Amino acid sequence: MAVTDREAGVRGPDRLVGRLLGGRDGRSRAARVAVPVLAVLGALVVGGVLMALEGVAPLSAYGEVVSGVLGRTRGLADTAVVATPLILLALGITVAYRARVFTIGAEGQYVTGALAGTALATVGPLSGLPGPLLVIVALLAAVLAGAALAALTGWLQDRFGASVVITSLLLNYVAAAALAWAVRVGIRDPGSFTPQSRAVGAAGLPTLPGTGLHLGFLFALIAVPVLAVVLRRTRFGLRVEVLGANPDVLAVNEARPAAVRLAVLIVAGSLAGFAGFVEVAGVTDRLTPAFATGYGFTAIIVALLGRLRPLGVLVAALLLAGLSVGFDEAERAFIIPSSTVGVIQALIVVFFVAGEALSRRKGR
Amino acid sequence: MDTLFTLATLAAAIRLAVPVAMAALGEVIAERSGVLNLGLEGTMLFGALAGYLGTTATGTPWLGLGSGLLAGTACGVVLALLMVVARADQIVTGLAFTLFAISATTYLFELSYTIGEPPPRIPSIDMLELVVIVIVVLAAVWFLLARTSVGLVLSAAGDAPGAVDALGYRVTNVRGAATVAGNALAGLAGAMLVCGPLGLFVQNVTAGRGWVALALVVFARWRPGRAVAGALLFGLCDALQLRLQGTATAIPYEIFLALPYLVTLVALMVRAKRSATPAALAVPFVRGRS
Repeated sequence: MAVTDREAGVRGPDRLVGRLLGGRDGRSRAARVAVPVLAVLGALVVGGVLMALEGVAPLSAYGEVVSGVLGRTRGLADTAVVATPLILLALGITVAYRARVFTIGAEGQYVTGALAGTALATVGPLSGLPGPLLVIVALLAAVLAGAALAALTGWLQDRFGASVVITSLLLNYVAAAALAWAVRVGIRDPGSFTPQSRAVGAAGLPTLPGTGLHLGFLFALIAVPVLAVVLRRTRFGLRVEVLGANPDVLAVNEARPAAVRLAVLIVAGSLAGFAGFVEVAGVTDRLTPAFATGYGFTAIIVALLGRLRPLGVLVAALLLAGLSVGFDEAERAFIIPSSTVGVIQALIVVFFVAGEALSRRKGR
Repeated sequence: MDTLFTLATLAAAIRLAVPVAMAALGEVIAERSGVLNLGLEGTMLFGALAGYLGTTATGTPWLGLGSGLLAGTACGVVLALLMVVARADQIVTGLAFTLFAISATTYLFELSYTIGEPPPRIPSIDMLELVVIVIVVLAAVWFLLARTSVGLVLSAAGDAPGAVDALGYRVTNVRGAATVAGNALAGLAGAMLVCGPLGLFVQNVTAGRGWVALALVVFARWRPGRAVAGALLFGLCDALQLRLQGTATAIPYEIFLALPYLVTLVALMVRAKRSATPAALAVPFVRGRS
């Protein structure tokens, strides 16, 4: 489809993606913060109205949500654990979307990474490795698998002009089928009645002492500043910005746009694959058909809401994870459909997109 | 393999192709005018839910189809306001809308029936009548795009919006109307999915068919006839998948789950030329800037 090329070419360098999706675009810092904050508040208000229509007092329900996160010893730890894959996935999406490479393949790459890591850690010759080494090798396999799947979409665009948006989405379904087969046949735990893999056992991530958090959260926390520096201070980061603004400029400056696009996708795929095995090794311990829960799609909301900035991603991931954990608690006290939190999360991004467009229109 | 291509398989292929074909026709209209509507899957979902609820409320699946069309139109108005009037990024907006639709339809569906009871099945419309609708809409879309001045202006808005503006047409209005029309058909497509032989709604019932329709539009080089042909190809793969799942073969059935999507991927690879792409696809029009 080659939408990205043409589109960016028309827009010209005065509309850098950094300005498009949250940079110095002539609006004050207050205006840039106001849109996401208002989007969140607006979504919470609508969510409150929905709950009121069902006969649940919104304020007490929201009170339960807040105390579900802040009022329990496990609340904050649960939030951090849920946020971990969201942060890693959304950081990858951030890099890609900054370059205006709109991949929707995070979900499939996440599943593929989990699959590769689990396969390596539970069956085959390497599964006998000692614990720490096994974790590293399995994570490496997960990164490679996620990166390979993402690179495939980049190659399809470069070679055949097939839009990354579509190919990455289609591959999600292929990855889901691969997961279904693997836990039913490929890497199935022979001792189990239901389809699932063996437990990763020695490849499990250790818990951080005294916190109830697995090591993966630390990885995610470290990834945030690392990616911020990479985007802001390195040649790769500059190329990402230029690819997003105007690929022709990139071509003039000795870098092939297709090569940079491929690199961007590989970074995104690596982070997604990494997140996949971190989730297995830190939380689920084994793969089941229910492993894919849509984190790869929620992460798109996280990345957009975080204005495609690593620190923003961290805040947005913790916020959305907190909402999920809090609503899980609130559902025990009130009769709320379990999909309410999904509606609120999705409304946040819809309001955010609309608010962004409107505020930029006024500023013109 | 010859036993695979029975009459039943072919009938299933057409049945599975119908909603995808209708959605692809809607997307052809929107994209020809320069609007890349990634909200297609979301609009289909809203249309499917409206079709289901409309049928359960009235008992008549034809009114369900009407509800789907209306829901699609409403989605089209929202998307046109965001993408065309407010000029929000089309890719981001479409994605956000689809994510919203997945959650919102699940939520509304959960509210629509009492927990503990299975959601009611709905009466279905005969397959033949749905096929006729597709053929009629195909003819209408082809005629509109290829044989009317409205179609010329619409395509021009996607190729050279500056020229359309200079001729005195409002690009915003043209694109807005195309977005609404395209989404109306996508809503109808969703309703055809549930009001056809399926006869029920489940969470995320479209299962990526909107995305497949988007891919088919590219594969079809923005031609309505080819888009329907592509949908038939997809339907055939889907039908083979269902058929092979039921038979005991050495091949794991998951391969056939992935097959329709893999075939769509391969179809995208076959298409090599890029020249048919509307030149201003996904580029917002601002007067005096292009």
